Amino acid sequence: MNFANVLGKVIEISHSNLETASRINAILNIVSSDLHFEEALIYTLDTDRRLSCRFMNRNSQLFDLLDDYRCHVGEGVVGTVAQKRAPQFFTLDEVPPRLGCLFYSNLDAVLPRYKVFAFVPLADDSFLYGVLLAASSTRETIGPEERVVLSILCRELGGIFRTYDLLLSSKKRIAELATLSELGRILTSTMELHAILENIALITAKALNASFATIKLDLAFIKFNGQRFTSGSIASSLEGQVLELETEASRLNQPAARTDLHADEEKGGPVFTLLAAPIVAKDRILGTITLGRKIEQSDIADYPQDQYLLTMIANYISSGLDSALLNIKLRDVLRELSDAQRRLIENEKLRSLGQMTANIAHEIKNPLVVIGGFTKRLAKTARLDENESRYVEIITKEVARLESILTEILNYVKESPLLFELCDINGLLDEIIYLLSSDKGWTNMKIAKRYDRELPSALCDVQQIKQVFINMLMNSYEAMRGAGTITMSTERTTLDDKSFIAISVQDTGGGFDPAYLDNVFNPFFTTKEKGIGLGLAISKKIVVYHGGDIEVKNKPGEGATFIVHLPSQERETI
Amino acid sequence: MEQTRILLVDDEEHIRLLFKEELEEEGYGIGLASDGFEALDILKTERFDLVVLDIKMPGMDGIQTLNEIKKLNKDQRVILCSAYGEFKQDFSSWVSDAYVVKSADMRELKDTIKKVLGA
Repeated sequence: MNFANVLGKVIEISHSNLETASRINAILNIVSSDLHFEEALIYTLDTDRRLSCRFMNRNSQLFDLLDDYRCHVGEGVVGTVAQKRAPQFFTLDEVPPRLGCLFYSNLDAVLPRYKVFAFVPLADDSFLYGVLLAASSTRETIGPEERVVLSILCRELGGIFRTYDLLLSSKKRIAELATLSELGRILTSTMELHAILENIALITAKALNASFATIKLDLAFIKFNGQRFTSGSIASSLEGQVLELETEASRLNQPAARTDLHADEEKGGPVFTLLAAPIVAKDRILGTITLGRKIEQSDIADYPQDQYLLTMIANYISSGLDSALLNIKLRDVLRELSDAQRRLIENEKLRSLGQMTANIAHEIKNPLVVIGGFTKRLAKTARLDENESRYVEIITKEVARLESILTEILNYVKESPLLFELCDINGLLDEIIYLLSSDKGWTNMKIAKRYDRELPSALCDVQQIKQVFINMLMNSYEAMRGAGTITMSTERTTLDDKSFIAISVQDTGGGFDPAYLDNVFNPFFTTKEKGIGLGLAISKKIVVYHGGDIEVKNKPGEGATFIVHLPSQERETI
Repeated sequence: MEQTRILLVDDEEHIRLLFKEELEEEGYGIGLASDGFEALDILKTERFDLVVLDIKMPGMDGIQTLNEIKKLNKDQRVILCSAYGEFKQDFSSWVSDAYVVKSADMRELKDTIKKVLGA
């Protein structure tokens, strides 16, 4: 046999472009065909320091008997060779029963087929990658030259494993870098916060091959505090565990893990590992990132590596997330500021408009008094016929009407400071209803109450708010011409995260023409024959000064509903 | 019996004329002033049972005039009379005897005058 020829083939294969597994198998086939070992198998070393039989030559008989059990380093012949990194050669007489490993009971019937055995470590100067097991039934011995050939061949195999390891770990690093760069891109994007968080969860789940990843924020000042952002779905039976783990990671400010969790009640369902890491920026815990990974049968428990990657992601996103959160806080504050500014400007406009209106009203009032006053004097002293008397009467009446319009306008534009007190709205409504319904004009009116009995108090100027509701009830009364049903309801609502009380006054007065909808709160808009259209305008002004608003819902043919929103006493925690 | 005298203070000539004629008909003796300064000058030399004082006047408004009148004679009776409805609520801190909103319908003014003079 030409050993140089064999080694030449081995080196050629080892340096070829074939896949790692194909190269190894090809070399094992050479061991089998050219060196006459019917069995040529390789055990590889796993990260948990156990050896698994993973590669074999074509037609191997032993592989199926050996691949069931993973032996520890130091256990049996294979383990010993791995530990000592020195080859061992045996004849059948010398070889330990079951290759020194009690679990290989199936070997008892098979081993006697072979005459010689070789166990050679696959190693370079620093690492052990595995062990070659070769057995032959045709050879009587393994000579010194063949031992050298086997050892060179195993060095070459070790080289293949080393390259593969290096390739694998650089691929891993590249994947990690790609993950981080993707995360960086998301964090510096202009996306909304929820989109940022959902994307981070997605990237994390992808990078760690997890069935779900979820981010939970623990910040009081952001409005979606406590909300979670999840990629994938969390099995309902794991939800409790996820919460527990998040609490643990956040409380201890360190990563936490749970292994061997069953997603289904019965055993045999998928088994999960849960990992959580706190997201910490400037010593403040922003929240947690948690993932769940389904453990496949073939998976080697390697969660420390995953935990490391998850923690790295958590650390990487923390400062970016911190600034994103600050940005959002800043944006909210800016929005509030510009809202406040807009309100100020509107108020200022209203105020100057009011001032102007008051001045005009005043300037008109004096001439009006003079006209009306002298007309009356004229009527008293002059001798007038029937027609002339009627003219004078008309002038007097119209002057009186103008005067009352001016009074209402002055009431509308007048600035009366609000005198706030805590008010039980249900009680106030009862009082108003009692007041109105004791009038005999209200005998055909039915008033239904649908109160929220747990209604919080409102801070308001009771007299002014009373005026608002009296005004609304009078409107309903007039819309229904004194006969119909008014439904008064109270409830709690939220607008823009602030707590409000909503009080609705619903009538059965047939509603109004939808074309009027935009105008009902405008000063001087009216559908009544009498009245100058300031009632709702004044009501709106009062409610807006209280920090609330009035809205109207109109069902033509049925009725109208006016809903007053007043800020409730439950103050927001900032 | 001596005639009851009322001083009307208003910057609007026609208002003065209307009020004068209406009140003379009721039997009062009427003096006229077109602003606060003139009113004070008159009050330094003449005695009036009542001053009916407009609020919105150029130079010195009715409120200032009221304060000056009360300095001159704290027992001087004064009725504030204005086209402004809004003072109706807020005048309580000023020491006038009554407040009337100007109207072509003179009844309120006349009733108030009777009430204040009767007191």
